[in-house]
Amino acid sequence: MDEHVLRLGSRSFGVDEFALMAIVNRTPDSFFDRGATYATEAAYDAIDKAVADGADLVDIGGVKAGYGEPVSEEEELRRTVDFVAGIRARHPDLVISVDTYRSGVAKRVADAGADLINDTWAGADPDLVYAAAEAGTGLVCSHVGGLSPRTDPHRMAYDDVVADVIRTTTALADRAVAAGVRTDGILIDPTHDFGKNTLQSLELTRRLDELAATGWPVLVAVSNKDFIGETLELPPGQRGAGTLAALSVSAWLGAQVFRVHDVPAARQALDLIAVLRGAAQPAGTRRSLA
Amino acid sequence: MPVIAAAVCPHPPLLVPEVASGAAPELDDLRAACLAAIEHLSTAELLLVLGAGPSQRYDGSAGWSFAPYGAAGVRAGESVLPLSLAIGAWLVEQSKAAAVPRVYVAVDEASAKCLELGREIAAGNERIGLLVMGDGSARRSEHSPVHLHPRAEIFDTTVATALAEADHAVLAALDPDLATELQAAGRAPWQVLAGVLQQTPLTGTLSYHAAPYGVGYFVATFT
Repeated sequence: MDEHVLRLGSRSFGVDEFALMAIVNRTPDSFFDRGATYATEAAYDAIDKAVADGADLVDIGGVKAGYGEPVSEEEELRRTVDFVAGIRARHPDLVISVDTYRSGVAKRVADAGADLINDTWAGADPDLVYAAAEAGTGLVCSHVGGLSPRTDPHRMAYDDVVADVIRTTTALADRAVAAGVRTDGILIDPTHDFGKNTLQSLELTRRLDELAATGWPVLVAVSNKDFIGETLELPPGQRGAGTLAALSVSAWLGAQVFRVHDVPAARQALDLIAVLRGAAQPAGTRRSLA
Repeated sequence: MPVIAAAVCPHPPLLVPEVASGAAPELDDLRAACLAAIEHLSTAELLLVLGAGPSQRYDGSAGWSFAPYGAAGVRAGESVLPLSLAIGAWLVEQSKAAAVPRVYVAVDEASAKCLELGREIAAGNERIGLLVMGDGSARRSEHSPVHLHPRAEIFDTTVATALAEADHAVLAALDPDLATELQAAGRAPWQVLAGVLQQTPLTGTLSYHAAPYGVGYFVATFT
């Protein structure tokens, strides 16, 4: 896999260009925001704010990732389809991602204007790739260690967690290409905490360069996750600084897309890292130079 | 009297301090209870460590590792033992039974076969110390690794009482399908113990019965 430009919706991201994805949940029970953007108007406001704060993408979720009340496909569609269409009307150039594992939802949200399908459950629905291929959307290929959707890890064991992640996500990416998904719209995501204990998620963060070396653009979703919470012994509301540290290390090691709750903080960190990496110039350097 | 004593211990990876990191002290009491139980086996001629896993026998030199759970430094030899036996080996190495010659047996058979294996062990000539590695249900609470099952607590309480009373009939009658549904890893090893107890009248003592992380842990001794 050669390094290439990532194309999502009307946007293109070069290999040295970070893309920031803001999380906007349409769920009443998300682990982090506990339903703050469940209501439609609050969700639109959150989108507007994310865009103003520097988000390149928004990721819409209609089903809580972890264990919780069952959400039917009909209910997931009700929470996402019209909302995606509404966002598209308000923000023509915003890249819209939808976090779903159901091919039926993927197809309908793509018709409504979604550009990327974030398949967090690693191909649990084998038809999802075909929905993405047919609609021309991008696809996120995840690693969950064989877990079923919405279940938690119990004593997950890997000879080498990084090798397992690379093997699984690149196989899903290859399968997506074979199914007709655009090669320049595919991302791989190690999917921290899903099917992994804290030590395993830390190892993935530490060795993220090995994922980047596959050539596929790497998405990381570390924001406020439990591996940060367990490492620092902090509850979800107090993991912001830890999140930025994990995000920054991931960016330095080659991750390209960052799924976050706190957009301004992540934007600031990524803008600095882009300069440190030589991919961008400082905004202005006057000190001691006049 | 070929089986001179037996001990029952749980096998969460979390028992290993390097896996638990800063949470290690939370299980100090469980580790201490396990080591105290295993001490009863130190006068045996042969230590048989029995645990859940694809049925197989391993000799005493078999290696194990906690690298798959994130603690790369805690290992011995080339790793072949399943988790239950790896925890068993790790515990034995720290105990007074470390010097006793050892074999390992993983078992995932149906009830009748487990009972038969237990009776065979009991019929041997060597003075055997039996270490039985088994966990209760992983579905004990709302915050369990696997979500709460309404029958998990009564299942574990039944096991705890049977261990305390060395009641082989109750252990022998544990339903394998229910145990699978409840994700109780100890069913097959406990039923081998039941086969042993059918032949060998030992007295049970339950020293630990709790589910601090939503998984049932038991420590018991049989002397």
